[in-house]
Amino acid sequence: MSDNVKINVNGLQIESEPNKLLIEACEDSGIHIPRFCWHKRLDPVGMCRMCLVEVETPRGKMLVPSCTTEVSDEMVVDTESEIVKKAQEGVLEFLLINHPLDCPICDKAGECPLQDQTMAYGPGESRFVEEKRHFEKPIPISEIILLDRERCILCARCTRFSDEISGDPLIEFIQRGNKTEVNTFPNEPFKSYFSGNTVQICPVGALTSTSYRFKARPWDLKSTRSTCNGCSMGCSIELNSSQNKMLRILGVDNEHTNQGWLCDRGRYNFEYLNSDQRIKAPLKKTEGNREETTLQDVYSDLSKIIEDRSNKITFLLGSNLTNEEFTSFNEFSNKLGNNDNSIYLNEDILFKGFFDENIENAKIEDLNKSDAIIIWAEDLKETLPVLYLRVRQAVKNGVKLVVFGHTNSTLADISDVYFGGETVSNNFEIVKDISKLKEIKEHIKDKNVTAILGKASPNQSDQSLEKLFSYLKDNSNLKLLNAFNGGNSFGAFQTLGSVKGNREFSSEISKETTDLLFVVGADPVGKSIFSSNIKNIIDEIPTVVALDLFIHETSELADYIVPTSSTLGEKEGTFTNIEFRTSRIDKLIPSPGQALSDWEFISGLSNFCKFEGMSESLKDLNNKSFDSFALDTKPTFDNLDKPRNLDGIINTSVPNINTTDESIEFSDSFYVGKKLYGDKVTERHSKSISLLGSSQFIEGSESTFEKYKLNSGKCILVQENIEITVSYKINPSLPDSLIFFPKNRRNMNKLDFSKNIQILPSHSMEVLNVN
Amino acid sequence: MSWDDKLIKQAKKIVKIYPQKRSALGPLLHLAQSKDGYISDDSVSVISELVGITEVQVKSVSTFYSMYKQEPTGKYLLSVCKSISCEINNSNSIIDVVKDFTGLSNNETDEEGLFTFEAVECIGACGGAPAIQVNYETVEGLSTENTLNLCEWLKNETPDLVVADELQNKFGGTKSFDWAISDNSGTTGSVPGFQTLNTTKDKK
Ligand code: SF4
Ligand code: SF4
Ligand code: FES
Ligand code: FES
Repeated sequence: MSDNVKINVNGLQIESEPNKLLIEACEDSGIHIPRFCWHKRLDPVGMCRMCLVEVETPRGKMLVPSCTTEVSDEMVVDTESEIVKKAQEGVLEFLLINHPLDCPICDKAGECPLQDQTMAYGPGESRFVEEKRHFEKPIPISEIILLDRERCILCARCTRFSDEISGDPLIEFIQRGNKTEVNTFPNEPFKSYFSGNTVQICPVGALTSTSYRFKARPWDLKSTRSTCNGCSMGCSIELNSSQNKMLRILGVDNEHTNQGWLCDRGRYNFEYLNSDQRIKAPLKKTEGNREETTLQDVYSDLSKIIEDRSNKITFLLGSNLTNEEFTSFNEFSNKLGNNDNSIYLNEDILFKGFFDENIENAKIEDLNKSDAIIIWAEDLKETLPVLYLRVRQAVKNGVKLVVFGHTNSTLADISDVYFGGETVSNNFEIVKDISKLKEIKEHIKDKNVTAILGKASPNQSDQSLEKLFSYLKDNSNLKLLNAFNGGNSFGAFQTLGSVKGNREFSSEISKETTDLLFVVGADPVGKSIFSSNIKNIIDEIPTVVALDLFIHETSELADYIVPTSSTLGEKEGTFTNIEFRTSRIDKLIPSPGQALSDWEFISGLSNFCKFEGMSESLKDLNNKSFDSFALDTKPTFDNLDKPRNLDGIINTSVPNINTTDESIEFSDSFYVGKKLYGDKVTERHSKSISLLGSSQFIEGSESTFEKYKLNSGKCILVQENIEITVSYKINPSLPDSLIFFPKNRRNMNKLDFSKNIQILPSHSMEVLNVN
Repeated sequence: MSWDDKLIKQAKKIVKIYPQKRSALGPLLHLAQSKDGYISDDSVSVISELVGITEVQVKSVSTFYSMYKQEPTGKYLLSVCKSISCEINNSNSIIDVVKDFTGLSNNETDEEGLFTFEAVECIGACGGAPAIQVNYETVEGLSTENTLNLCEWLKNETPDLVVADELQNKFGGTKSFDWAISDNSGTTGSVPGFQTLNTTKDKK
């Protein structure tokens, strides 16, 4: 760049973009300045003074904090002078005055910036003989985070994160001077979807997670880089294991996607990997009893069904598989002569979306570069949490935000325009003429707009979204993110010959159309809104094979259960995120027992059936997945392993969604959606998450609940012979008479939202079970 | 909410003065203190609603500044200056007199809730050192005798309103210069006198 400034650091000439912070400019040129409080993704505060350097000024050399000083042309800097060293020693001596130095029992030891920098820059000896400051050690500040205030060096990273980035400042400095501590307000715990990030960025062992506490020493950890498949954001992660047990997940700073952050579900929902409830051997149901069997036996039974060409075979795949596995099922299904029509994805909200050559797919980083962001989709905070952070970031940088109700009310506070009940009806139709809404016009007319569009609830009609879409397309310079949030759903769109969802499955599949059903990594009976339909279908299909990690409400119905590896650390492959960025899934630990990857199972079965021309290795499948892509955008393993491609490769080739696109009828006053924490089988077996996703509730406005005469905090949902006691939460931004049901919470799958559900006041405080 | 309607109304009036709600935080904390003599957690919750920031953020500010008290103060907050000018002019013995009379050590309140004693940094009355503040009303040029008189007078008379000028006339000595605002009307509690906060009354 031409307008770069030149600065002189330690006698070396370096270049930097103007207005960069000195610490960052030096870092970019390979000159490391020690620091505690400064963090690339947070605003600088200059709290710790560890980054002092000498800068020449008209009044002579001066010590300045390099994290709050911007570079200027011809600046002369010394980061290693005697004075700087003295300053660093002094700062460390002060920091250590009250630091307990309990490194031997501290989780951070071995990867602790305070420890490392004391070694590198510290005075070497302590002169402090007085009594140190004492606090109760450690205190829980939420169900999953602990705080040891003695170790805290008051860098304000955690408090800045919660204020600037996640926007839920529930921790702050309390008191002043020597008494300063980080803490929460009494009885107001640090309940944040993003709390784990503070543990990761704390430069000492003050913040720890219950999940990793005392589990390992950092120098014993094995690690590898991978991609989170918790939602379609595809955050870059580092997996840590010790003794073949997954122990921790850290966020990796991928400039394009998560920028280092993770949601707590992505961070802690790995604990199920170590559960002793994992299925370890193939199971076969004979006369209602499940018994262990061998893989060969399963192959041989299935091959008999497959060899009879009159038998019809269907697949229902979870969206957490790798691209290579989708390809493997696709290949297998084609081999069976199925012509692409037999594969369904376990997603409730699947519609054709907005993909074609004339629509420009947005990248996540476009959010920051546009003039305005328009959102109408499921609740981003609950379903694409780190995308929610990126939206917040863009708004902080001055991008305008327009939000359509009623799902993203958490963004209402920071939005420039929020369209609630007067504009959006209770079944998600825009009831006004969009072109006459001047609030939106001023932000989009002929401007660069990034829209995040998806169905807010399964009952939203396609036309209603399309109306908004075509208005935006006609009036602005539009780029668009399709807000499908299920794990690797974008990978499925690209690698499967045709994609249909649970809705199509429940209307098209029956024992007439299917003799053999594979349900792979999916629990629609437990978590889909089509639960009862799908259960009936599974019940009547003669042979059902479940490939899964656990026995759950769906797999327990199967005739065969084959244990499989988890996409989190137990297999290799690739994953494609919401912006069609494909990155690596890597393996770190062995799978339990006889568990194997889904593609290995299919490959074994094909071999057994003596099918020819099938991909034989993961590498083949990987190549085949991206057959049609241009060479330089092919996310093959070889390409992805090149250093410049570690953050993934984008290829937006048009996906194959083949849904019927009829809207789902709900009773007028209901909508359903996912909460970040649910009680999926993996979540139930992850201790940290199981604590968070267990409550059952509905949401509505105060006036809505008044109509039902609710007053005890609990109510009973009644439908036919089902009775569920739940609590009700007031959500003031919901319009009158609209009630939200979290579909991934226990028992909600029992309800049929197309029919009336009675809501009765409850006087008892105990939770009744389903009858 | 634990604030009565009148107080809430007053608070909302204060919030309206500022272009951004959160700027009203300081005055609202004073208001909370004028209600209870300290900032209760209840008040913190009320203020957090009023200005739209979280409770812990309010708490953070309220615990940072020493004039926002975290425990109930007595009817009279006695702040004796311990900084350099006063120290040269014998503030130690003034402090001793106050301590002896009240039986309190630093930052303590007596059981009757009459006095709170604190030794503080410079209160801006160096020219008339040593100095004391009674509910932030300053008295300069103290002697040990007059300090004792002041304490006794407060205990016997228990005036609802204390006014700097009056105290100065009764108990003060040499004054640095006439620093007080001309219509200073005194304070009614451990909050500086603000008309809007009702911590001052018109001088009779
Ligand atoms: S807890 Fe950690 S991150 Fe937070 S202020 Fe203390 S040292 Fe910094
Ligand atoms: S936002 Fe999605 S991809 Fe990122 S950590 Fe959370 S679940 Fe994983
Ligand atoms: S890193 Fe610059 S002051 Fe802390
Ligand atoms: S030193 Fe006591 S008033 Fe300034």
